[in-house]
Amino acid sequence: MTGLATVMLSVIDTGEQITFWICGSLALIGALGMVLSRKAVHSALWIAMTMINLACLYMAQGALFLGMVQIIVYTGAVMMLFLFVLMLVGVDSSDSVVETIRGQRLAAGLAGLAFALMLIAVISRVTLGDVGTQGADAVYGGNLQGLAALIFGKYLLAFEVTSALLITAAIGAMILAHRERIEPKKEQKDLSKERFLSGEHPGSLPPPGVYARHNAVDTPALLPDGTLAENSVPASLRARGAIRTVDRALGDEVQQLAAGDGSLEGEDLR
Amino acid sequence: MNTTTDDYFNAFTMDPWWPIVFAKVLGLFILLVLIVLITIWAERRVVGRMQMRIGPNRVGPLGLLQSLMDGVKLAFKEEIFPTAADKFVYILAPILATIPAFLAWAVIPLGPMVWMFGYQTPLQLTDFPVSVLYIVAIASIGIYGIVLAGWSSGSTYALLGGLRSSAQMISYEVAMGLSFVAVFLYAGSASTSQIVAAQEKTWYIILLLPSFLIYVTAMVGETNRAPFDLPEAEGELVGGFHTEYSTLKFAVFFLAEYINLVTVSALATTLFLGGWRAPYPISLWAGANEGWWPLVWFLGKLCGFIFVFIWLRGTLPRLRYDQFMKFGWKFLMPVSLVWILIVGFARAMRNDYNWDLRQTVIVIAVPIIAILIVMYIIESIRERRADAAVAEEEEARTEFDPMAGGFPVPPMPGQSYTPTRRSKATVGVTALPVSTDAEIEEA
Amino acid sequence: MNGLIALVPIPTPNMDLGQIAPLEIVFGAALISVLVEAFVRREGRRRVQLVLVFASLIAAVAALVGLAGTRTLTAQASVAVDGPALFMQGTVLLLAIVGALLIAERSIDPAGDAFAPRASALPGGREERELTAAGWSQTEVWPLFLFCVGGMLLFPASNDLLTMFVALEVLSLPLYLLAGLARRRRLLSQEASLKYFLLGAFSSAFFLFGTAMLYGFAGTFSLGGIADALSGNAGDNGLVMLGVALLAVGLLFKVAAVPFHQWTPDVYQGAPTPITAFMATCVKVAAFGALLRVMYVALGGVRWDWQPMLWIIAIITMLVGVIVAIAQTDIKRMLAYSSIAHAGFILLGVIAVSEAGIASTMFYLAAYGFATLGAFAVVSLVRDSSGEATHLSQWAGLGKRSPVVAGIFTLFLLAFAGIPLTSGFTSKFAVFSAAIAGGATPVVIVAVFASVISAFFYARIIVLMFFAEPAEEGPRVVLPSAFTALALAIGVAVTVLLGVLPQPLLNLAQQAGIFLR
Repeated sequence: MTGLATVMLSVIDTGEQITFWICGSLALIGALGMVLSRKAVHSALWIAMTMINLACLYMAQGALFLGMVQIIVYTGAVMMLFLFVLMLVGVDSSDSVVETIRGQRLAAGLAGLAFALMLIAVISRVTLGDVGTQGADAVYGGNLQGLAALIFGKYLLAFEVTSALLITAAIGAMILAHRERIEPKKEQKDLSKERFLSGEHPGSLPPPGVYARHNAVDTPALLPDGTLAENSVPASLRARGAIRTVDRALGDEVQQLAAGDGSLEGEDLR
Repeated sequence: MNTTTDDYFNAFTMDPWWPIVFAKVLGLFILLVLIVLITIWAERRVVGRMQMRIGPNRVGPLGLLQSLMDGVKLAFKEEIFPTAADKFVYILAPILATIPAFLAWAVIPLGPMVWMFGYQTPLQLTDFPVSVLYIVAIASIGIYGIVLAGWSSGSTYALLGGLRSSAQMISYEVAMGLSFVAVFLYAGSASTSQIVAAQEKTWYIILLLPSFLIYVTAMVGETNRAPFDLPEAEGELVGGFHTEYSTLKFAVFFLAEYINLVTVSALATTLFLGGWRAPYPISLWAGANEGWWPLVWFLGKLCGFIFVFIWLRGTLPRLRYDQFMKFGWKFLMPVSLVWILIVGFARAMRNDYNWDLRQTVIVIAVPIIAILIVMYIIESIRERRADAAVAEEEEARTEFDPMAGGFPVPPMPGQSYTPTRRSKATVGVTALPVSTDAEIEEA
Repeated sequence: MNGLIALVPIPTPNMDLGQIAPLEIVFGAALISVLVEAFVRREGRRRVQLVLVFASLIAAVAALVGLAGTRTLTAQASVAVDGPALFMQGTVLLLAIVGALLIAERSIDPAGDAFAPRASALPGGREERELTAAGWSQTEVWPLFLFCVGGMLLFPASNDLLTMFVALEVLSLPLYLLAGLARRRRLLSQEASLKYFLLGAFSSAFFLFGTAMLYGFAGTFSLGGIADALSGNAGDNGLVMLGVALLAVGLLFKVAAVPFHQWTPDVYQGAPTPITAFMATCVKVAAFGALLRVMYVALGGVRWDWQPMLWIIAIITMLVGVIVAIAQTDIKRMLAYSSIAHAGFILLGVIAVSEAGIASTMFYLAAYGFATLGAFAVVSLVRDSSGEATHLSQWAGLGKRSPVVAGIFTLFLLAFAGIPLTSGFTSKFAVFSAAIAGGATPVVIVAVFASVISAFFYARIIVLMFFAEPAEEGPRVVLPSAFTALALAIGVAVTVLLGVLPQPLLNLAQQAGIFLR
């Protein structure tokens, strides 16, 4: 960590350069991986890597606060929400990758390449003037303080107006996702009433018949009057017609059992 | 000329790599692993006591080596990869969870300047102007480990556990961050060593008690510990995000979890309990805050927090998920925001108008008390109305005969039970219809 | 390691609150409006919101009138209070008042206002039917509208790129939302909203990228500072060119200039018609205000570099706008392409790079704004059972069924075409002459040519309305309440007045047409 602190806090050029080459390459690999990987979650991971490396670069430039905020807000919150959505929705490689407009991917690739070349051509020839944090930081005794002075001084209005942006975003999220209840929430009592009024079996269904010799879900239970309780057999079995038929004899058997006469012979209940 | 922050923090970069930085890193690592082993053992022993058991007492003196043995056992278990797992991420996840857990300790100040191998150096690996934010940032990377573990296992329980725990950590990170703000406002810095330095006279637990309470609540939520251990709710999710993990990968998750517990405790100590500063009666002794002694005070405070964690686990039942989220967003957050407003107001008044503490307290407390009184009056009126409504309902209750349908039934809401002519005792007994053999024969 | 670092106190920023009063009023009203949503009972919300919106907009206009003639930089030099800023803000506010009249309309659609009863309900689902029957409405439209207007007030007045970017987002975000709230054809509306959002976010990124480039060059965000840096720099200015290009992409997207116009027809068609009207006018005013300020104040020194680029864009914008408009069969899409063509005409004022250019642009924006609001108001009146009847074939013979509405629409079309005695003629004349004076004669020739083509398709609609046989099951024209009627009346009055008596507004624009640095 001391090495990192060295890079972050002093202007030793070699340290900064080493950080740049390492973090810069990693950020680039992350960006490429994000575009090239098939699984959406992997893409999200790659871009998280890019973001963390960018944060390291910011810190190497002396913008400590920005670097931290980049990690906390972008990597920690924004990307995390992305991951949430990706995982819950279950986006994966099975999604269609067919182009809706023919040649779009090629055109986009070429345009991207041209844009990149233009940026490289311009930026590589640039000599920067007095930009950077050193001068600004010195006035108030540090990066954090300098930043505070800018936010609460020169750019106060922009900072305040940003709150309008956040409120708008909050209202927007609420409009698009929140459902105010039209009717009061159903309590346990209302739910129970509803269940009875629906006319369907209100409680749990009777379990299948289980007797000393027959312990199978396809054997229907018997009602007190000896008739079969059809709904005691799972619906899927009923649909397949796989219910064991229980003839009248069973009713007698049950009575014998109930009467305490255990001398039943091995008669099949089918 | 004042020392600028750069000058101050450059002192940390003066440490020579060998042996100071090396020693500090190694020392921290050993300290953390030891603390974790002891914490696990202590947790089992203390919870055991609280539940009238003994806890592990066979391996080593007092069972002290139990956690070590458990670790060794885990290392020798069979390695299992679920078929549906995304192998790369599945292996990456525990690493992502553990490394940040260790990294966070780089900025925890364990003591003041000490002599080490002939060098004078602070008892802290490094520090910079935003080191508290660094801890938050590192923790938010740690969450990735948990989410990815949940996702890559290819199992529903694990996915739900991972999502739950990251949602929980993100939510409580907000309240936690807000509780830092008051500390930053008072210390005038976001660096850990500066915050400890600023608590020379008064600890912030006294000045900023609400912040402390919010932080302590949030830190339990942040570490997924009981009573907020919903991601691992056994009854619902089997084991949460690490359901599908076994062997060392599971052990490493376990390690990360306990290090996080220790980290948040250390942060609480640093931010609110004066860090390595000696507690009151001891602090009268001049040598208490010098040399290696502060390490003792620091570890003592740390153990106190760890004990509270264990105590909570032994005492409180788990919350329901929606209640827990509601508590975080609808209670902790607004309370923190109001508290920050108050603190900001107090600081601004002191900076710009030289108000003393008494003045500030009066100006803030009077309107708050007034609001509370008004709310109390409104609430009591409302309550009286509600009481009146209940009384009316009582009067409107109809007579009810529990045996009217032949079977005794309990009264419905709005009906009141009046004992029938039969004696009270028999009502209950006849509630159970007992069929006689004769009846069955008749059927 | 003991001892605290002493802190250097940050000086309290001084803000002259009076000089940004219109902004404060609108943003303040927006905040109150959010609270109204939270605390006022559902039945009373609409009324409270209406009072709040109109009162605050009128108060902002009054505050603006009080500021007339001020020339100063305020809020730490991040806001310019000068002629163009005040003129643009005034135009935005007046157009917003008329737009608010359209948004407030409730009696055109039998089900209520133009917005979905609840945006989160599934389109066509049971919940939506129940809510419609219960007469619910999404009153959150009003705070969003006010925030949007606030952003539009700040956008043309921002004196540094950072404030400008924040203003751009503040005006855009509510629009993305509002575009997706239509009551009828909700899927189309939501698609429009999503398209607008994605492309808008993309263009914002371009704006930000350009800002970074210019910062890298000048070391400051301030427009004046960038101009100073440009005048002091003789050599390599690759960063500047890149910055200008990227910044221009962001701004030209908002004014819907070709090739950054792709979103326009879809969004104009999908969004609720009052929002389309509001968007087509106010966004254009605010965005041209910002474009003028950036180009004139900050980048005036490199005008020889960006002028040719804008020449080309103006030419293709006009041509694509008018040519594609001919092929449209939907009245809203036709108006969208017409608005693209008009963006090209207004760009003529920008490439003039002169005070006359500023004045003519501002005049054009005001004249075009009122005519557009009126035209969309008419579109919202022509309906059949499923909502607005926007297919051109349905408009056949409208003049025979309701000559008044068709007559009003004809007036607006004539104004769009630039026929004398309407505001369109005066404004086109003003920008053409400014552009010729600025040396852009070739562009003006193309513009005249484009005007002729546009006259063709406007005339085609007029012919369709008055000389075609009405369809059997044709749409009917709904009698609006006072809100839309007032908006229409204002639109007609301004269009005729600026055609007959343009001089007062022209003079005002000329007086105001000097940027403060």
